[in-house]
Amino acid sequence: METEDKIRELDRRNQEAEAGGGEKRIEQQHKKGKKTARERIDYLLDKDSFQEIDKFVVHRCHDFGMDKTKIPGDGVVTGFGTINGREVFLFAQDFTVFGGSLSGAFGEKICKIMDLALKSGAPVVGLNDSGGARIQEGPASLGGYGEIFKRNVWSSGVIPQISVIMGPCAGGAVYSPALTDFVFMVKKTSNMFITGPQVIKAVTSEEVTPEELGGAMTHNTKSGVAHFAEDSDEAALDRVKEVLSYMPQNFREYAPVVACTDDPDRKDMALREAVPSNPRMPYDMKDIIRSVLDHHEFLEVHSHYARNMVVGFGRLNGISVGIIANNPRFLAGCLDCDASVKCARFVRTCDAFNIPLITLVDVPGYLPGVNQEYMGIIKNGAKIIYAYSEATVPKITLVTRKAYGGAYIAMSGKHLGADLNFAYPTGEIAVMGPEGAANIIFKKEIAESDDPDSTRQRLIDAYRDTLASPYKAAELGYIDRVIYPEATRPVLIKALMTLRKKKFDIPERRHGNVPL
Amino acid sequence: MSEIIAPMGGKILDVKVKAGDAVNEGDEVVILEAMKMELPVVAEASGTVKEVKCNKGDAVEAEAVLIVLE
Repeated sequence: METEDKIRELDRRNQEAEAGGGEKRIEQQHKKGKKTARERIDYLLDKDSFQEIDKFVVHRCHDFGMDKTKIPGDGVVTGFGTINGREVFLFAQDFTVFGGSLSGAFGEKICKIMDLALKSGAPVVGLNDSGGARIQEGPASLGGYGEIFKRNVWSSGVIPQISVIMGPCAGGAVYSPALTDFVFMVKKTSNMFITGPQVIKAVTSEEVTPEELGGAMTHNTKSGVAHFAEDSDEAALDRVKEVLSYMPQNFREYAPVVACTDDPDRKDMALREAVPSNPRMPYDMKDIIRSVLDHHEFLEVHSHYARNMVVGFGRLNGISVGIIANNPRFLAGCLDCDASVKCARFVRTCDAFNIPLITLVDVPGYLPGVNQEYMGIIKNGAKIIYAYSEATVPKITLVTRKAYGGAYIAMSGKHLGADLNFAYPTGEIAVMGPEGAANIIFKKEIAESDDPDSTRQRLIDAYRDTLASPYKAAELGYIDRVIYPEATRPVLIKALMTLRKKKFDIPERRHGNVPL
Repeated sequence: MSEIIAPMGGKILDVKVKAGDAVNEGDEVVILEAMKMELPVVAEASGTVKEVKCNKGDAVEAEAVLIVLE
């Protein structure tokens, strides 16, 4: 055989692999509004950058007639390429081949790129679209999943790991995304659950649709399992690219610094009005966040979950930062169980990847209630304290208004190792609010007075003047500086530029015991 | 049909709609006092008010149904 013939043989094999499950199944995929695995890779990666590996791998199953049908690639496309010039490894499950079901060989393909990514120090992006385990393979399929999960954990905090759910992801398969840093879901065409509607109906008689049970919005609002809900495959992949731009390639590097054309000294007089004079009135903390970040660009993460807590990425003077803030607009900005885990997870994600933390505080306290107590606000609230104390990236805090009680400490308080703590003149830093405090401190005086109501009001006002302010904390050095609101951006940037190469370690141990 | 519920326990300070009113996503329908703040309760979806189930001055629990939308 001439070399020419051998070249043609390679052409033939390549075309066979690229056809996946065939025209008909590709058409079905498109009809559902879903792209194919290869189309998704093509959209995500820089043009012509994709280097596929294991294209001709086939399954090794002899049971149930499986050996009669072998499709090259075996239902997953794997390899590496670049996103905006930066290397990534990826896998894209191919729903057109055996329903995207995972076999031993399929699992090994994924493990191979995970191993390469870990050694190379580059992120892994997983595009999930699969019917689950390939039942005919028995334990080989389960082993496939297990080896993936182990690698998710060995890579956790070493390289960024992104999961995009672009179709079904059911049963044990969901644990890989659950172990990764960020989970993106496509509305209507993707879902995640351990047991699906049919099994649930059979066992508990509950009736629920796949979308209600485990669709994008369910996981973005109720369970908090997913961080993003996008309208289409393209939108989800665009968002992945955005998130990766704020992160480094691995834990030994910093995120890329973007040339900043937004004046680092930009003052915004409108910030003087951002916090209402009346402490009873809420406001949207995101207005302050967007004002100070470069080009007013804020990539909110987990935006639909625990909206009383805001987390996300932005840049200050081109440097990627993690933003965490209470939002008085929802639940008065209180901390509850959901907000606590949302905050703690994001803090730890940023700390794992050298991303400085900027925390904006306006928190009246933890949300009172029997339900919160039973759900464990004690251990969940503790997670915030754990995350901030453990974090050794630069930590900069700004109290815009309320910072009461334990929540004052938890929200990146000085005592947990925050590097620089600022407050607006509207800051209120105290154990509790004036009304509650006056009733306790002056209980006797109020009870014994001729006019309890006006005495109480007088004492509330006296308390408000002394303690509902940032100055007591400033006198103690717990607040480093009380700042003019319009100067927020320059103050944060100057602090960040000074701290950005911070090097600090907490005492050595096998690993801490974060309350779970 | 959808229900607008109290996001947290508190006191109803103001009810801004009545049966028959058209409501758009994002409209404030009730003002709730909690944690010493006046918090707007906002419609998450558009609709017409079928029933107002709270009154000014009521104490309500978290997740109490305040407004029923059609």
